[in-house]
Amino acid sequence: MTAFVTLRGVYNTPVFRDQELMASRALEQFLASVEKRAFKIAQLGLRNDDDALDAVQDAMMKLVQSYATRGSDEWRPLFYRILANGIRDMQRRRTVRGRIMAWLPQREDEDEESDPLAQAPSAEPTPARRLEIDEAIGTLETAIAGLPPRQQQAFLLRNFEGLDVSETASVMGCSEGSVKTHYFRALETLRARLGEVI
Amino acid sequence: MSQDLEKRTREVLEESTARLDGRTLSRLTQARHAALDQLQQPARRRWNLFIPAGAAAAAAVLAVVMWSRTSTGDPSPVDDLEMLADSDVPDFVDGEDLEFYEWAAGETET
Repeated sequence: MTAFVTLRGVYNTPVFRDQELMASRALEQFLASVEKRAFKIAQLGLRNDDDALDAVQDAMMKLVQSYATRGSDEWRPLFYRILANGIRDMQRRRTVRGRIMAWLPQREDEDEESDPLAQAPSAEPTPARRLEIDEAIGTLETAIAGLPPRQQQAFLLRNFEGLDVSETASVMGCSEGSVKTHYFRALETLRARLGEVI
Repeated sequence: MSQDLEKRTREVLEESTARLDGRTLSRLTQARHAALDQLQQPARRRWNLFIPAGAAAAAAVLAVVMWSRTSTGDPSPVDDLEMLADSDVPDFVDGEDLEFYEWAAGETET
């Protein structure tokens, strides 16, 4: 009993609690800094908001579960690696499900209730720019979503998330040369598809 | 030309991200909090790790104490317990044998 009281004392010391609190705050700041871009990357890869949110949440859970004690400079590549794996797994499951569903008759009574919150934009764009921006976003996202998965991954991680070639290679599990090739091809494809639109 | 495209696509994607709807932002916040809640659980789990170790240590201490008392010739508490629990213990204050015990004690002293 004495041993337990003593050990409890160690874990309740102000120093230990402060360290846990600091680690928790650092992780929260990191997750808050990447969550929107991570969602956008998952959304473009999966073309479904709910699946994208699930993929981001899974990546957050796994990062905290397995890598919370790692150095904060390691979190970004680890997080995106987990997310990339999650997106790839979902894409594979969807392909299998699609093959199975193709054999089943389609339901006709699928009326989804619209959520008013889902329709509400978080910030009001200026009316003059709204159409132009909407069009640019729609065109670009369609073009990116149409890229082959590896090109899309390389493009979004390098261009949008800002990872360097080495970090991107680590996330994608390939060589730096492959990252450069995928990125270059993605740019070429986007230039051909987008032309003068954006 | 290439840098223009890279810069422009980045800007458009940033704009798209800044315009995420309220429901998505709320769900991302919930996801973040759910993930961070896990940090509280390992602290509780750590205590569970000490329970078997503590029990083993307590058993070891008890065994050492009992062994040391036996080896020094002190009557063990376990022996006392056995004696009290034994139904065949002789009745030392039986009236018939009392005179015999007094005689035996006197013989021992002389």
